[in-house]
Amino acid sequence: MKNSIKKPIKYLLIALLVGVALYNSVYFEPLDERHIAQKKGVFDPDAFAQKFMETKLTGLPAMEAGQFMEALEQDLEQFTAEKGRKMGISNDYYFIVEGNGIVLDIGNENVRIKLEGVADSELLIATDFIFGNAIREGSGMASIGDFQNTMDFNSISVAVNNRVRTDVVPPFLNEVEEGDHVYFKGAVEVNTKHPDLPNLRIIPLILEIE
Amino acid sequence: MGKQFFSGIVKAIVPIIIGFLLLGCAQRDDKGPKKIAVVISTLNNPWFVVLGESAATRARELGYETTIFDSQNNTAKEAEHFENLIAAGYSAILFNPTDAEGSVSNVNRAKQAGIPTFCMDREVNSLEGPVTQIISDSFSGCVDLGQYFVRQMNKSGKYVELLGLVGDNNTWNRSKGFHSVVDYFPDLKMVAQQSADFDRSKAMEVLESVLQSNPDIDAVFCGNDAMAMGAYQALVSVGKADSVMVFGFDGSQDVMDAIKDKKIMATAMQSPKFMAQTAAELADKYLQGERDMQRKMPIAVEIVTQDNISEFEAYGSEE
Repeated sequence: MKNSIKKPIKYLLIALLVGVALYNSVYFEPLDERHIAQKKGVFDPDAFAQKFMETKLTGLPAMEAGQFMEALEQDLEQFTAEKGRKMGISNDYYFIVEGNGIVLDIGNENVRIKLEGVADSELLIATDFIFGNAIREGSGMASIGDFQNTMDFNSISVAVNNRVRTDVVPPFLNEVEEGDHVYFKGAVEVNTKHPDLPNLRIIPLILEIE
Repeated sequence: MGKQFFSGIVKAIVPIIIGFLLLGCAQRDDKGPKKIAVVISTLNNPWFVVLGESAATRARELGYETTIFDSQNNTAKEAEHFENLIAAGYSAILFNPTDAEGSVSNVNRAKQAGIPTFCMDREVNSLEGPVTQIISDSFSGCVDLGQYFVRQMNKSGKYVELLGLVGDNNTWNRSKGFHSVVDYFPDLKMVAQQSADFDRSKAMEVLESVLQSNPDIDAVFCGNDAMAMGAYQALVSVGKADSVMVFGFDGSQDVMDAIKDKKIMATAMQSPKFMAQTAAELADKYLQGERDMQRKMPIAVEIVTQDNISEFEAYGSEE
């Protein structure tokens, strides 16, 4: 009789202990919250690029495109070394330039413009094949020495190029026509080993049809 | 009594002598030339042999004794080398790591022992450990290579990607640079992406296996030249060497020859000689007291194709 009373108490205690142990072993949380928690402290290149595109473009220092072209033609080596930005040891120099031009031709990968007020000076505005580090390096928006892992640093270029591809180019391409007057601000790469001044490509940051 | 007295003296003196001997072994020999260790991830790949030998040669020219250590792509082996070279009193380490994350502790251990480390070609995920990291700009190289790939493929076709060591940042910087271009062309389909550890034989095996399930590929993109040669061998063995394009990365002798012979489409030239010499020179400057050095020093790579190969020599220039 005594044993039959003790047994349920014993089982109840065991069940209670197992229940407490299980309750403390398993946690449930929404998947979204879990993903957010995992991303905390991890570099987010998309957010970095978005902030740059939304807050830094207007005030970003830029050279006037006509003066830039003249300076390159006068002394490419000296001008790039003095005024250009480059990463590590390389023949590629990067600049941010701005200016006004008249649309000469709308191609598959570029829009060719003639710079206003500068005789025989043309530039390409990239509308496809928007790749590489021109914006990141030209703007100086990030420094490789601040990143433990170079992959994070390189992700900035991918993210910022994506923004150009989705936010800057499509509205421009939808409206632009030959003969239009345009304002542009963007990044350009100049290679001093194989300079191709007649075909310099601007990766656009701002494009306005006037 | 005399015997006991003599035994007592011996017991007292012997430990002192042993102590002095041990101390003598542990102390650095400041009279001879300083020693620089060259620790290389693997000497089973000619590109890394050039890297190691160029570093050692330049360090010797600068007046140091040098020893080359082969980590055999094994972080445990690498850790063993670091323990030995710390105990042996080396002055600096020119280091080509096996693993961006796994090699950090070795660099830190050397730093704690007062030995500066200079990374070559591959980086470690630490800004504090090494004095500087001289690395190829693999990402940008593969952005250029990716654009060349897209144009050669006329923006459509099936391809295979062979990755290097998954723990090495170069593997992912190259892959990421390539995909930052290629993925924008929806008609380019990657049918397989597998690691072949930067190894020629493994690349051959992996591609042979992939070809069994995907016999109709148009191209193979490889994270280094050794894998490109392995991939090319696999294609030769199934009679597809003329119809499948192979792309590598490094600028090694065999791939440069293969590009000349129109067997391989392109590679990205990174100069092990230049990187190694720069590392040796920076180590020398550091040992002479200079401290103003960039934490990371990327070196641009250039695309070598069948059209421009005459401008290049294998393993790049020394300047």
